[in-house]
Amino acid sequence: MNALDIELVSVSKSYASMAVVRDIDLAIPQGEFVSILGPSGCGKTTTLNMIAGFTAPSRGDIRIKGRSQVRVPPERRNIGLVFQNYALFPHMTVTENVAFGLKMKGVRREEAETTVKSALRSVHLEGMGKRYPRELSGGQQQRVALARAIAPRPSVLLLDEPLSNLDLKLREAMRIELKDIQQQLGMTFVYVTHDQEEAMAMSDRVVVMWQGAIAQEGQPAALYREPNSRFVADFIGKSNILAVASTATQAAHLELAVGDGLMLKARKTELSAAIRYCSIRPESIAVLPSGVGGNGFANLLNATVRRVVNLGAAFEIDADLGSDVRLHVLLRATRASVPPSVGDAIRLGIEDADIQPLSA
Amino acid sequence: MNRLISIFYWFSLGAVLCFITLPLIVVVAASLSPTSAVTLQPWEWTGRWYADLWSSRWLDPFLASVKIATVVAAISGVLGLFAAYAVVYERIPGSDALMSCLLSPLSVPQIVKGVAVVLFLSMIGLQGFLGTPALIAAHVVLALPFVTRMVATSLANFDANLDRAAQVLGASKLQRIRLVVLPMIKPGVLSGVTFAFIISFNNIPLSVFLVRPGDSTLPITVINYLEYSLDPVLAAVNVASMAFILAVIFLFEKIGGFSAQLHGGSK
Ligand SMILES: Nc1ncnc2c1ncn2[C@@H]1O[C@H](COP(=O)(O)OP(=O)(O)OP(=O)(O)O)[C@@H](O)[C@H]1O
Ligand SMILES: [Mg+2]
Repeated sequence: MNALDIELVSVSKSYASMAVVRDIDLAIPQGEFVSILGPSGCGKTTTLNMIAGFTAPSRGDIRIKGRSQVRVPPERRNIGLVFQNYALFPHMTVTENVAFGLKMKGVRREEAETTVKSALRSVHLEGMGKRYPRELSGGQQQRVALARAIAPRPSVLLLDEPLSNLDLKLREAMRIELKDIQQQLGMTFVYVTHDQEEAMAMSDRVVVMWQGAIAQEGQPAALYREPNSRFVADFIGKSNILAVASTATQAAHLELAVGDGLMLKARKTELSAAIRYCSIRPESIAVLPSGVGGNGFANLLNATVRRVVNLGAAFEIDADLGSDVRLHVLLRATRASVPPSVGDAIRLGIEDADIQPLSA
Repeated sequence: MNRLISIFYWFSLGAVLCFITLPLIVVVAASLSPTSAVTLQPWEWTGRWYADLWSSRWLDPFLASVKIATVVAAISGVLGLFAAYAVVYERIPGSDALMSCLLSPLSVPQIVKGVAVVLFLSMIGLQGFLGTPALIAAHVVLALPFVTRMVATSLANFDANLDRAAQVLGASKLQRIRLVVLPMIKPGVLSGVTFAFIISFNNIPLSVFLVRPGDSTLPITVINYLEYSLDPVLAAVNVASMAFILAVIFLFEKIGGFSAQLHGGSK
């Protein structure tokens, strides 16, 4: 059992009378990489600022290593923070930037020098110590910011969209690097982002926020497979979301009526509230030639191809099932797979477990 | 069209340069004039008027002006820094109103300010303060809005995330001010201080009310001299004080100067 590094206990924040963060409960064990994921304005930065101590919660408690932090100022919380705009001290060299936290802690000079060197090594910036921030590229500046934050060995590192100012290639490379550094240090990372791919790629756990509250949290794969709401299904990855008109429980299946009169067979689940939507991932739908095969599928549906978009690695097929239902289907491009053409009649196979009923 | 625009701005630039430099050239030429009437004879010149500058008639007021301007620059630098810090950075309650209040002396004509200072001093029975103390006080009042304004501008451009970054790294408020805020706004503070120095050093409208006979500033001495005679020594005084001001600007520029403002810090 890992000790808990950070706990948020029903934390809320309102400005004037507007609730920006509502009743967040979160327990982060030591060494975990947690992402807080959500659309712009959902309260991610506010939550992070409350953990850092720049914003006081209106209600609730924040604990770091078991101790309540509500009265502790940011300079005494022993946390690291990486900003979206890097916030490097422009009048200091890279070395001076990275050494700043150590100096504030009163670390002896020789010891600080070794620590700075090893921090710069872990972000692959050896030999850049004498440069000024303005002499570095954006990616290098972000690495310096990271080195500066980890050098004093904080118990947790908070990162607020640290990669969003970098171009796509660099962002993808930095994702892997960040994860490596986190694992080497065994440090707890709380990573704020609105980019679901980024969150999925790096995190042990993803906390999806929406309108100030936690919509769902869990391991990336679980969130992707079993979203609990229309919002999460839509926000994480792509999904076909269909409105469910009525449901009927059969011996082996749950029958969902979608569109005007199409029945889908889903696996039986226990949902407390009534089912209002269902989500089907485009890549979980099999494309079968009309006529033969496909007996293994719980749902076998006739469809007409309306559009085919070549995405390189896959084909995106827009399939019309009649009854006012359309599905996006992702067909992986392999040497063997021949994409259907517009107007073709095809059959779609969907397993019952791939239809995720949603109550909201 | 582009051609027209470029002709226009080259013309404007030329005109501005002429306006700025021609009077200077005239003054420099006049200060070298061999006859005691101010004339322009570039082919005949003498440095003897500059030798006169070392007499106590000119040297004393010059030193007095330097002394006053230095004290004024120091006082208004410190006060302006703190005022701007409190208003812009700490955003103390009512800071917008306070800022307008701090800048309000700008809207009062200098002559009015001079009279006000004299009246104020005689009202509270401190006529004895006329001379250097009154000059310093009045010049500080005059220079303070400029300094405050300049420091405020550089503080407003200061990225608050830098302060936060320093804070989570464990820096106390005092350490943050000393190690992050001050180095970042140094160019603004220095240009404010330079301004204060020049404003005080060149001032006539306020000083004219406040100097004591026999204990005058350089500009007032020039004005008084001008009432009786117009000779090249005045031109020499002007050239010398201009050179002095340029040296002051150059010096402050060297210590972490205005051009550094462009990339937010000195190397
Ligand atoms: N100081 C403040 N006063 C009033 N409202 C605020 C304040 N700070 C934030 N808000 C509001 O709180 C909400 C959440 O802001 P926050 O910065 O936490 O969003 P975010 O999730 O970080 O968004 P983004 O992805 O755009 O950075 C926003 O609607 C914002 O307008
Ligand atoms: Mg944000």
